[in-house]
Amino acid sequence: MDSVRLDAYKSYNSNAAKRPSFDHTFVPPCQAACPLHMEIREYVDLIAQGRVMEALQVIREDNPFPSICAYICNHPCEDACRRGQIDKPIAIRALKRFAVEFGGDRVIQPEAETTHEERIAIVGSGSAGLSAAYYLRKLGYPVTVFEACSELGGMLRAGIPKYRLPREVLDTEVQRLIQMGVEIRTNTRVVSLDLLFDMDYKAVFITVGAAQSRRLGIEGEDKPGVVDAITFLREVNLGLRPSIGESVVVVGGGNVAVDAARTALRLDAKKVDLVCLESRQEMPAFESDIQAAASEGIVINCSWGPRSIVADDKVTGIEFIRCTSVFDGGGRFDPSFDESVKTSLTADTLIIAIGQVPQIPEDFRVRIGRGSTIRVDPVTLTTNREGVFAGGDAVTGPATVVQALATGRQAAFRIDDYLQHRYPLVGKEEKESLLGDLLPKTIEMIRKLNRFEPPVLSPQARAKEFEPVELVYDWKSAVNEARRCLRCGMGAEILFRDKCAACLTCLRVCPYHVPYLDDSGTVQIPADQCQACGICVGECPARAIVLRKPQDRRHIDEELDHALKTAAQSKSRPLIIGFCCQYGLYGTGALARLWRQAKAGIWIVPVLCVAKIEAEHILRAFEMGAEGVFIAGCGQEQCAREDTAFWALQRIGKARKVLAQIGLEPKRLQAFNLCPTEGDPAKALDEFTERIGELHLASAIEQEVKT
Amino acid sequence: MIVAEQKPLQEIRGLIASYEKILVLGCGTCMTVCGAGGEKEVSLLHDALRIAQARGGDESHSFLEYTVKRQCDSEFLNVLEDSVKEVDAILSLGCGVGVQTVAARFPDIPSLPGVNTTFMGAAEEWGVWDERCAACGDCRLAETAGICPITRCAKGILNGPCAGSKNGKCEANKDMDCAWALIYKRLERLGQLEKMRRYYPPRNFRTIPRPRRITSKASIEPGGANG
Repeated sequence: MDSVRLDAYKSYNSNAAKRPSFDHTFVPPCQAACPLHMEIREYVDLIAQGRVMEALQVIREDNPFPSICAYICNHPCEDACRRGQIDKPIAIRALKRFAVEFGGDRVIQPEAETTHEERIAIVGSGSAGLSAAYYLRKLGYPVTVFEACSELGGMLRAGIPKYRLPREVLDTEVQRLIQMGVEIRTNTRVVSLDLLFDMDYKAVFITVGAAQSRRLGIEGEDKPGVVDAITFLREVNLGLRPSIGESVVVVGGGNVAVDAARTALRLDAKKVDLVCLESRQEMPAFESDIQAAASEGIVINCSWGPRSIVADDKVTGIEFIRCTSVFDGGGRFDPSFDESVKTSLTADTLIIAIGQVPQIPEDFRVRIGRGSTIRVDPVTLTTNREGVFAGGDAVTGPATVVQALATGRQAAFRIDDYLQHRYPLVGKEEKESLLGDLLPKTIEMIRKLNRFEPPVLSPQARAKEFEPVELVYDWKSAVNEARRCLRCGMGAEILFRDKCAACLTCLRVCPYHVPYLDDSGTVQIPADQCQACGICVGECPARAIVLRKPQDRRHIDEELDHALKTAAQSKSRPLIIGFCCQYGLYGTGALARLWRQAKAGIWIVPVLCVAKIEAEHILRAFEMGAEGVFIAGCGQEQCAREDTAFWALQRIGKARKVLAQIGLEPKRLQAFNLCPTEGDPAKALDEFTERIGELHLASAIEQEVKT
Repeated sequence: MIVAEQKPLQEIRGLIASYEKILVLGCGTCMTVCGAGGEKEVSLLHDALRIAQARGGDESHSFLEYTVKRQCDSEFLNVLEDSVKEVDAILSLGCGVGVQTVAARFPDIPSLPGVNTTFMGAAEEWGVWDERCAACGDCRLAETAGICPITRCAKGILNGPCAGSKNGKCEANKDMDCAWALIYKRLERLGQLEKMRRYYPPRNFRTIPRPRRITSKASIEPGGANG
């Protein structure tokens, strides 16, 4: 049981268990912005190396339903991404989608072992409920999910249109939960919590969401043809095809309004107008969705407030007055109107999407706060009733999927604490977040790289279909997009202050001019500016500088050891060691193919950028019996780093000098593919192998003659 | 800063040939800064010696490596007391001063120089060092606009430039700036060209009586130390 709990805690309290104290990396801004605190920098880096399956493992560790997030996350990480200060943020969500699709996400969750007796009821099967069920089940509790509808998913199923989240994706994730042993009770509306406690549930988690649409409060709202957005979306999403006529007006400027408008367009509507109080800049819907809606032909009418609904026995239109401002000076919602400016629209159907509130049955007897939401303790998620926890939209009001997933996870651990009579083990962030923007002088030195947008279905193709709009990256674009990552917070540091001779080598070799001398004459490498290229680490004559991440420090040594050990067992001669950049497609794809075909015993030491190879590494390969060593760069323009070829060549020069003094031919050491302008690496590798073969033969003959 | 460069590997191998256990000793100050004998160079040299030995096949040395903060003060060498007992020789990558301090501190063990101590100088850019001071003991930099003609003029003349100065370069080496041309330009910039027109009598070119010693502590009469 302990290991299960530890595993679960690892993914939640992603500090204590996972990070030894000598890890000096900072939490990058993307991870800090993610409600689930996903290790974004790590999985993006793995994608950049083409290690998609491992990337998916990292994603899975912190996210119960990665494929759902891959489609519909509002990616607060991308807003925080510091690449945005240089050109455009990394397309993190699209990369996650790529990892999910290409990483072999066919995981069959084994049934979790039940190690606790206390049964837990989850009321509501939206994102928060499913996430809580997932984590509680992993912790070993018997979990039952109660759902009023016929199918699980809450807003994921009833609210979010299919073109944004294909239902197969949702079904797969739900199926995994069932495989884990979560008991599902659909078509079961919970009306009283007492009943659940009578049924011997020891804890209840309320996640009923916010599904009650707000009303406009003007005349005619109950006429036929007026429908609230949640009802409309639910009908469509559950397979009905409501008749809506040719012209549809949607009132509201949020995400639900945009979803409703785009859904209407995919039904029979010829003309869809979206009308909202807010100005275009103030609209709360996600900008990308608004743009997608506009490109599909939806007319966005901003700054209009509904005044009256025109209807006889059925709605025929709606009148608006000019909205002059939506918020008061204090930022509170308090619209003011100019009655003299009017407009009107004809409508066969009027969809009202001006927000939703939770609807909590009175018999729950939980304390209700502002906006009809449940009042909870923000840390423990406890309500006023013992053993009753609440989270998700029912507590926060309408929010994002990723927030709900995070709340569900939080709830699972707090319920565990409650049932085990423990003081809440609240995850303290042990590591510091990386603060501070990039300085203009650093930005100037960083290579600008275009963001690769994932392909989308053409607006014509999507208007009448519910096919997913966004398509997935191909392998090349994904890898190249991931390579843009700046790897914030994992750069170099002067770990051994006492060794630093203040020689200023780091100042002189840094391509980004990051290290500086402070007023006391001490060299500083500010972590928020360092680009983690590792050049200063390799050049520091006192060996005072190391990379912040422990794995980075010994990466090449370990890989080299591994390669040499494997090589020792092999009979193929001559032995050639190749240090190859793992970023991009070359290391994993093209190169792997080349060396498999080669006749010699070529062993590859994967390196994360050739600028990290030091002369010592090269010499060690020779010491351990290599007859030739080559260094291959990624050879791509997409490299985010500067000067890497120059420094690789410097170190090769240094190693060659030593080789010459020892009496080894310097041509046994070769570099190729360091920059995109070079010739064919396949040819270069062939020639090199041939040359080493000749040298091998010559020395073998020499040996023979001697004996 | 003292600048040195590592001796050729062949020479170093010759130096250590007759010893079995060798301590490769780096210096964390000038030799680190000039890239001749810091911790990184110590380990690179260690690697090189090992490979050379493996290929040669007829020698068997074993190596220890260590880098002290500064070899030229014997207190820094105290940490080596134990490890030194196990070695047959110390290959010092300190400057000449360091090698001698090591020799004095460990009188029973041979102390071998791994670098050629070359000059006092400054880094021109990463990986390039230039000589700047000859330690002549009679500094005239105030008169020569902060540019030393003793070190930077091939002839070391005090009343330059000579007739071999051409386009600001020296006749001895066309890539080398004529120190006196530099002095002229800088004096002009400082508005002190009159210093060019003065005659500087010859310095004391007698051989410097070596070794020199500087004492900064005041000499106290015997008995004065007790208050």
